Amino acid sequence: MELFLKIANKGTIEYMLLGAGTSLMVAIFSLFFGSVLGLVSAAMKMSKSKILRGIATVYVEIFRGTPMMLQIMIFYLCGPIFTKFLFGFVYTPNPIIVGIFAVSINSGAYITELFRAAIQSIDKGQWEASKTIGLNYFETMRYVILPQSLKRILPPFVNEFIVLIKDSSLLSTIGAVELLQTATVLGGKYYNYLIPLSMAAVMYLVMTLTIAHFARKLERRLAESD
Amino acid sequence: MIKAEHISKYFDKFKAIDDVSLHVKKGEVICIIGPSGSGKSTLIRCLNGLESPEEGTVTVNGTVLDYKKPNDVTKICSQIGFVFQHFNLFPHMTVLDNLTLGPVVAQKLDKAECEKRAVELLRRVGLEEKKDAYPSQLSGGQKQRVAIARALIQAPEVILFDEPTSALDPEMIGEVLEVMKELAEAGMTLLVVTHEMGFARKVASRVIFMDEGHIVEDNTPSEIFDNPKSDRLVDFLSKVIHM
Ligand SMILES: Nc1ncnc2c1ncn2[C@@H]1O[C@H](COP(=O)(O)OP(=O)(O)OP(=O)(O)O)[C@@H](O)[C@H]1O
Ligand SMILES: [Mg+2]
Repeated sequence: MELFLKIANKGTIEYMLLGAGTSLMVAIFSLFFGSVLGLVSAAMKMSKSKILRGIATVYVEIFRGTPMMLQIMIFYLCGPIFTKFLFGFVYTPNPIIVGIFAVSINSGAYITELFRAAIQSIDKGQWEASKTIGLNYFETMRYVILPQSLKRILPPFVNEFIVLIKDSSLLSTIGAVELLQTATVLGGKYYNYLIPLSMAAVMYLVMTLTIAHFARKLERRLAESD
Repeated sequence: MIKAEHISKYFDKFKAIDDVSLHVKKGEVICIIGPSGSGKSTLIRCLNGLESPEEGTVTVNGTVLDYKKPNDVTKICSQIGFVFQHFNLFPHMTVLDNLTLGPVVAQKLDKAECEKRAVELLRRVGLEEKKDAYPSQLSGGQKQRVAIARALIQAPEVILFDEPTSALDPEMIGEVLEVMKELAEAGMTLLVVTHEMGFARKVASRVIFMDEGHIVEDNTPSEIFDNPKSDRLVDFLSKVIHM
């Protein structure tokens, strides 16, 4: 108990909360950019063009078929080499920015499949009815298909958000100061890992359970309007 | 106003429509009858661009449909109303929004003006008080009347119906047929795929009998029902009338 109070002082808690904030921020930005990527790549995957379909498929398969840790390391460690080779300049990578970049691209591959499944689950009569009233492809997507898909996509989408909060811990391997990293730093400082790691676990749980709770509420609200 | 010339439609190797020509003239009320799988739906879906025939041409108001330009086809065919067997209303929108979506989004018309017209049309099909309801809160017959109003707001010159009453409970069929009859009496051009032989006999000006992708007979209702010429039509009528 004494040891716990010694470690869990105001300073360390603040430090860890800052780390938790970073984790949350990485997850939110990645979810946002991943959604944009996922929507575009889902549209490509469902397009008539073989080339677009091919590009999207390769993207999805590569990023779902290799470990996220590997992807993060490639972007972080090899990014400067690529830019030197391609554009002739080297940069010092910021772990958080590179991390958001890598996680977004990875998440985009998963979200592609979420969007595609949700969009394709909409009855084709909806497309046909839209066509008979003169809506083009984009208008049909925007006003008819996506609003109905979003309802169906909500549960797996929230799940993806929770996965991202947990996966953001992988950024500790490239030195980003997120929640897990703060815990290990404190562990080293106090020669005790159990307490800071447990504190991190509690903070992760608070985040993921809160999100799950609000998602369930929202789902229930949406179900009512059916 | 719609003219199909020698159209054929394949699904893989299967020929669902086989060299069919059909000319729909202004003011006509045409009923298409025939056994299941004879290509009735496929034919009327070809007339408004929902299906593209591999052979032959479809001309709408003087323009030949060019399926390589899907946006043009959609634009031209939005002048043709279409009512589906399963309504295909937009479930996430109110009845009013179901009606105004086309004019407001595709035609970029003034929203308030469209809503006024939508309410008038809903009154015409007897559903003015349902304008803020969602489709899930309506009965089948009401849904189909909303679908008819949604077709009407496009100010179409012709409306195509694909078995508009086949998905309805028997007690709701009458209310939908009544609306269609009123449209016919008001001079609207209608093309109706139907199994309602009573409607075909009373309301149609022309009845087409299809079988195996062909138009087998094309005549006045009294000739079709009282004086069928082909064995296949005789056979078909004996089946549907006994049922
Ligand atoms: N999208 C499709 N893919 C493959 N075959 C199809 C498709 N649509 C229709 N067909 C086939 O084409 C034939 C004609 O179908 P169609 O729907 O036009 O018949 P129908 O006369 O409308 O029948 P019903 O009275 O059952 O509605 C059928 O044999 C059907 O199986
Ligand atoms: Mg049919």
